[in-house]
Amino acid sequence: MKKMMSVILASALAVGLLTGCGGDTKKDDAKSNVIKIGVFLPLTGDNAAGGELELRGIKLANKLHPEVLGKKVELVIADNKSDKAEAASVAARLIERDKVKVLLGSYGSSLSMAAGNIVKNSKVPAIGTSCTNPQVTANNDFYFRACFIDPFQGTVMANYAFKNGARKVAIIQEVSNDYAVGLAKFFKDAFIKLAGPDSIIEVANYQTGDKDFSAILTNIKAMHPDAIFAPGNFTESALLIKQARQLGIKAPFLGGDTWETQEFINVGGADVEGVAFSTAFDREKATTAEAKKFLDEYVKEYKGEPSALSALAYDAYLIAIDGIKRANSTDSVKIRDAIATTKDMEGVTGKTTLDKNGDPIKGAVIKTVRDGKFKYIDFVDVK
Amino acid sequence: MKNKRDLILSAILLIVLFGASWFANSELDSYIRRIVNLCLIYAIIGLSMNVTNGFAGQFSLGQAGFMAIGAYTVGIFTVPVELRANVFYAVPMNPFIADIQMPVWLALIVGGLLAALVAFLIGTPVLRLRGDYLAIATLGFSEIIRICITNASSFTNGALGIKDIPPLNDVRYIFVVTAITFVFIAALINSSYGRAFKAIREDEIAAEAMGINLYKHKCLAFMISAFFAGIGGGLYGTLLGTVDPKNFLFTLTYNFLLIIVLGGMGSITGSMLGAIIVTAGLEYLRIFDEPLKLFGTMIPLFRPGFRMVMFSALLMACVLFWRHGIMGTREITWSKLIAFCKNPIGFFKRKGAAQ
Repeated sequence: MKKMMSVILASALAVGLLTGCGGDTKKDDAKSNVIKIGVFLPLTGDNAAGGELELRGIKLANKLHPEVLGKKVELVIADNKSDKAEAASVAARLIERDKVKVLLGSYGSSLSMAAGNIVKNSKVPAIGTSCTNPQVTANNDFYFRACFIDPFQGTVMANYAFKNGARKVAIIQEVSNDYAVGLAKFFKDAFIKLAGPDSIIEVANYQTGDKDFSAILTNIKAMHPDAIFAPGNFTESALLIKQARQLGIKAPFLGGDTWETQEFINVGGADVEGVAFSTAFDREKATTAEAKKFLDEYVKEYKGEPSALSALAYDAYLIAIDGIKRANSTDSVKIRDAIATTKDMEGVTGKTTLDKNGDPIKGAVIKTVRDGKFKYIDFVDVK
Repeated sequence: MKNKRDLILSAILLIVLFGASWFANSELDSYIRRIVNLCLIYAIIGLSMNVTNGFAGQFSLGQAGFMAIGAYTVGIFTVPVELRANVFYAVPMNPFIADIQMPVWLALIVGGLLAALVAFLIGTPVLRLRGDYLAIATLGFSEIIRICITNASSFTNGALGIKDIPPLNDVRYIFVVTAITFVFIAALINSSYGRAFKAIREDEIAAEAMGINLYKHKCLAFMISAFFAGIGGGLYGTLLGTVDPKNFLFTLTYNFLLIIVLGGMGSITGSMLGAIIVTAGLEYLRIFDEPLKLFGTMIPLFRPGFRMVMFSALLMACVLFWRHGIMGTREITWSKLIAFCKNPIGFFKRKGAAQ
């Protein structure tokens, strides 16, 4: 039996080896009428849900814009397993093996950072979809992104809080989450500038996966803050807000774009009504022609409301196509130069202009939860 | 003399492999180099884990914690000083370490020594435990390390992680470190210490009755294991160019547990084999992720993520049919290789009869 199994396994591997060799014979050169765009996203592992949503956006964009410079755009999709080492090897694989001209991805800043050195050394531009950590594009001429970054989002929420009369704010951050730490830091800096040095009365920390926040909340209740800024993962945040209301804290909660998922409302129920958070996209504010097309097609294709992640991924693809078009070339360095000068590119999340770091300059939408639904309340443009 | 022959053959093999790594470094593309490097680094960590788990028989799950220590030491001390303000943008770097910059090799050794020191400190109380209890205690320890790193922002940049570690995708460098690790651990296992480790693994009471100092030997195995895990972790950090605490979740340890269980607990060559099979095999299985057209129709099963299903199925098959891993506690030795070359069919027949 054991022998038979070995024979079967060995033959399975041998067959695999043969099929594997067949795939590598494709030639790629300037004359080819296909332009390859690599997509590396977490399609398995912890971040698979986010990766899948972004893949939808990119696939939809590819369906609506299948050609550039008269050539067909081919997506080469690869899974990075939500693992940094895999993210680095898969980025190298897409560039070396598949000879992609532009790389899109990834969901998750740390996964994108792992690919940073590779795109820099092989001089292939990459466009991040929803990696908000400033370090992704800092000191890297070949990394760009479609989403706004933590400093901007933190500042937007600080301005919003100040505008609505908050003068004393407590921060509760998910300290093991780079996104939450970044947001909290820039919220703090911006708010102190607006309301004075004593305006942040407390900075409390919790860990990913925590379920009980009563110690933090009892402490904060005694300080009577006007508002509480609590960036973090949606499950923990919803539980946090629920427990705060049970303790009788009336202060409004502010947060970031991670809250925009149905699970946040499912977990939080009536208690999360009235929270405010910033995000990249809302259909009411979606005024561009591209946005209308995106919304119609998305509903047709996937039967459901599009999320901001899909919209950002869609825009990342558009930035790439726009860059190739303006470069009028399939040379990666020329495409990089063109992407770096992206200006007023019309996408789903508004007009995108990239600054000298490769980060977009664009406004943020502020949303709330009303009657169990996300509702648009404000739009903050960059000055 | 058999020993002399083996020694010469091993030396020749090492030189040939070093030549091969030289070739790989200059001729192959960066993707293949990366996979080779990852195989080598995982082999180092697999070997280190095998010292405690396979040879000394102490079921420890702290490898991710030791790797984190090594990786962060390299991360903190090799980032160029002028780039540090950019990296530590949320909380400025602690002035005590802000101006210390080390070359990679020194940072690797410091990281390894630091990991060994921590292993000594926690080993003293924890190694009194056995079996499941030791596993839980070491698992808890690796989580403690990760949470300390998350909260010590002025040293480690907290959850934001460290970027701009000078990248090291050099096969020669990593090969040399792997070779040193391999030779050291092979020599250790064949020394009186190694025999003491194995005695402890087989029966602690009998070993103690034979005059083996249990505590001393367990602690030694634990520290050596931590040292090489720290070095492996440091190389892992430089290969990626960035480290962050979420890298070192306890699930990372299971990666290496998989490697040593698949290769064979208590087999050095088995760990090497396991590391190569798991790392390169998983990359190789990417053919299942690519769309496949058969007779003009797309097969819907072939989509990103399918390789993980295949990988798990293959793993189950392996574990079902080779219950002690591919190598068990056996090793690939020169005499076996020569016997195999002389008579490939007879070699397996003889082995089959012996079982």
